[in-house]
Amino acid sequence: MTERRTTDRIPTDQWVTFSKHGVAETVHLKGEIDLANANDIGRAIVARTTLADAVLIDLTAVSFLDSAGVRLLDLIVGELDERGKPIRLVVGERGAARMTLQLCAFRNDLFAIDLDHAAEELGP
Amino acid sequence: MSESGGPDVTQELRLPWDDDPEDLYEHAPCGYLTTLPDGTVVRVNETFLTWTGYERAELVGHRRFRDLLTPGCQIYHETHYAPLLTMQSEVHEIALDVVCADGSRVPVLVNSVLERAAGGAPRVIRTMVFNATERRSYENELLLARNNAEASDKRVQVLQQIVADLAAAPTEAEVAEAVVRAPQPAFQATSASIYLTDADRDELVAVASTDPTTGNWDDMPRGSARAVAEVARRGDLHVVHNLAEAAEHFPDLAATMTRSGRKTVVLLPLTTGPAEDQAGVTVLGVLAFSFTEERRLSDGELRVIRLLGQQAGQALDRARLYDDLRRREERAEFLAATTRALDEEHRLLQRSRRLVERVAPSIADWAGVRLHVGSAGLREDAGGPPPDPDLLADRIAEATAAVKPVFATDGDPLGCTVLPLTARGRVLGTLAVRMAADRRGVDAERAFLVDLADRAGLALENARLYEQERAIAQSLQRSLLAADVPGNDPRFTVETYYQAGGQDLEVGGDWFDAFLITPSKLAVVVGDVVGRGLEAASTMGQLRSAIRALATGENGPARLLEGLDRFCQRVESARMATVVYAEVDLEANELVYACAGHLPPLLHQPAGAAEFLMHARSGPLGSRAADLRRTEHRVSLGPGSRLLLYTDGLIERRDRPIDRGFEVLNRTFSRLRGAPMKGLTAGLADTLVGREHADDVCLLCLTLGAEERLERSLGADPLQITLLRSDLRAWLLGHQVDQNCLNAVLLACSEAVANAIEHGYRNDPFGVVDVSATLTGDAVEIRVADRGSWRGPGESRGRGLTLIEECMDEVLFDRGEGTTVTMRRHRGDAA
Repeated sequence: MTERRTTDRIPTDQWVTFSKHGVAETVHLKGEIDLANANDIGRAIVARTTLADAVLIDLTAVSFLDSAGVRLLDLIVGELDERGKPIRLVVGERGAARMTLQLCAFRNDLFAIDLDHAAEELGP
Repeated sequence: MSESGGPDVTQELRLPWDDDPEDLYEHAPCGYLTTLPDGTVVRVNETFLTWTGYERAELVGHRRFRDLLTPGCQIYHETHYAPLLTMQSEVHEIALDVVCADGSRVPVLVNSVLERAAGGAPRVIRTMVFNATERRSYENELLLARNNAEASDKRVQVLQQIVADLAAAPTEAEVAEAVVRAPQPAFQATSASIYLTDADRDELVAVASTDPTTGNWDDMPRGSARAVAEVARRGDLHVVHNLAEAAEHFPDLAATMTRSGRKTVVLLPLTTGPAEDQAGVTVLGVLAFSFTEERRLSDGELRVIRLLGQQAGQALDRARLYDDLRRREERAEFLAATTRALDEEHRLLQRSRRLVERVAPSIADWAGVRLHVGSAGLREDAGGPPPDPDLLADRIAEATAAVKPVFATDGDPLGCTVLPLTARGRVLGTLAVRMAADRRGVDAERAFLVDLADRAGLALENARLYEQERAIAQSLQRSLLAADVPGNDPRFTVETYYQAGGQDLEVGGDWFDAFLITPSKLAVVVGDVVGRGLEAASTMGQLRSAIRALATGENGPARLLEGLDRFCQRVESARMATVVYAEVDLEANELVYACAGHLPPLLHQPAGAAEFLMHARSGPLGSRAADLRRTEHRVSLGPGSRLLLYTDGLIERRDRPIDRGFEVLNRTFSRLRGAPMKGLTAGLADTLVGREHADDVCLLCLTLGAEERLERSLGADPLQITLLRSDLRAWLLGHQVDQNCLNAVLLACSEAVANAIEHGYRNDPFGVVDVSATLTGDAVEIRVADRGSWRGPGESRGRGLTLIEECMDEVLFDRGEGTTVTMRRHRGDAA
């Protein structure tokens, strides 16, 4: 059985991968994002988005998102807003991530239905 | 009459002084003295006067006899001579010393007779004096000779003791210790030191001293100008009698003698070889001993000293040969033991580890193996401190390129010998060792290291090959085991677990499988092929395929086993494999199973305790001795029943009888009733087998249908929430809860458990969170309870609470001893 202290860093590749969509640094999240892995995933994302001019976070493959995941997204959105850089959360039309974020009353202008559309919005 | 019968001539002899008694008295061959009872000389003969040089007139009437004696003899005269004479009237052979007129002394023997008058009063003493000069000097000589003999005896005894000690001294160090202790008892030397020749390093090494504070106690090159080195070169005994001699020949010695207050020094080479041929001897060392007084050594002593040098030399020679022999034996033993030790480990990494741990610290203070395997290579070090990595890398490159050992040399900054490890003409890697600078036997040492590297190379190559085969077997096994076990079906959940043998054994032949035979019939299998390694893994693959092929809607477990028995006729390696095979009718909730020599499955129905399924048992596949009449048994299953199939690795432990193993398994499985299904099999293996699992462990757990009520107990660990969600999701699906409701309940439940972990237990890993889920008519009810002390939400969890309230229709917090959150949500799109 896996034993792990929450302070250990674990590889996050199974939950998070990155790509570029035009100018936007794109973060693809996958699987269940919760208390157990949100911190590690957060670190991986922040490392890629700190200097980005635009960020897309693709949550369409997320099967579960809890408040720890919400906190993480809130942090990233806040940071980009502060730098005046655009960010979109791609949540599809339904699904666990969209539900959680809507329950938390995230601003509607942050949501996008699909990735290409969102990339166009952020395009130069 | 002469007894010989010859003529009697005594009558004819007339002695010339017969007629002159006066002359006889005066010139008798002894002195005569007549004295008064008080000792006053009244008459003395010429002989006495001649011996003593006195005039007659000086003595007669003027001196008493005792006045002529030395002071010591005067006392003796008063205490012995005079009383004896008075009592016995005569004394004999009293030894006295007479002081002559010139003050010299004449040793004499004295007989005296006391004549008494008619009334018995002493009248006169007549004394006869014999010159004992010759006799006394003879006696002195005798005494001296006896003293000499005694001293010589003592020396011989000491020497004998030393020879005995030397014979018993097996090592050079012990010989040196015995030799250095000799000069004090044998020659009354004040201190002694011994230096031994180190031919390899061309040095004289100071090894022992009775008083290391004196002398120049340093190693020196054999070519040194110092006295010890000089004597070692000459190979002959040197006695430096005094400081002047030392100053003339050996200035360094003179300085040392002055500093340590020595007057005489003996430098004795310890030699072996023919004593008579100075050129043929080998000097193995030098014994130096010294005296605080100037000391003349007698010829006898010098002979004994030379003898000591030869005896010590021979003993050293013998000890060196013995040392070499023992070292060779030790090395041979070390090599044999190392080969054995390496054989005990099969894996490459472990074998490498074993190798460096054998080498350091036994023969080296640091050892490292580098192997060119895999992309990163393999490195194992032992001992320390580690050597300079850059220098080491250079030397490793050198040894690898040349395929030759590179030996450490004196003054080498790295100090490591690097040996290529080769097998079948290929350099597999290197072994680097840093050894204490060895004093002797450099060639032997090198041969030994090369031998060690040869053996290690072969052993590591074998391990590498083993590793290769193992990797193939493992990937084969993994590919077979990882194949699609059906999931995402609300009617059942299958959880599997495989754990390879812990002690680096080859892959085993354990396997599990689960597949749908028809849309409503699920087959589950666990089996165990005899043997290990690649062959077992491939046999396992064949059996697994055979079972999938033989499983049909009509066959059933007993017919399937018969089919496998036939299969064994053609695949010999499958013979004696054990299998448990079960089919579950997902519509009728019925289990049919059969056991071919395998451990009984364990079934836990929703009500009651878990029980082993002991029916439908028959022998292993293709067995010739066992009962092969295959039967099957039916059991109906309640929703939520859990069935466990497993291999013997789960319960067999050396320290536990197997029936006890069954007991423990039953108890543990029953206790885990409340544990999330996900991770259950791994948890079981962890609890039952622990770390020291020698054998492979293979588990398959099947949960049938959805329990009416889901009850789980979780450790307060965020990872557990993931496992719980998996069960809860399956349970909700099993009860046809719609997707929106399902997502909301999952989120609320996760948040409530996260709250309990973060705020109830503040991440205390021993905390337990109880979760239950029930369906009441048109609603889902979730209850999350902890026994921690809740401190109120921080900012971060505030959002969690909001989410719970948003997700659920009713939320009730009950804070008593711990916190219980009860949440309800209506099924359908109520929220």
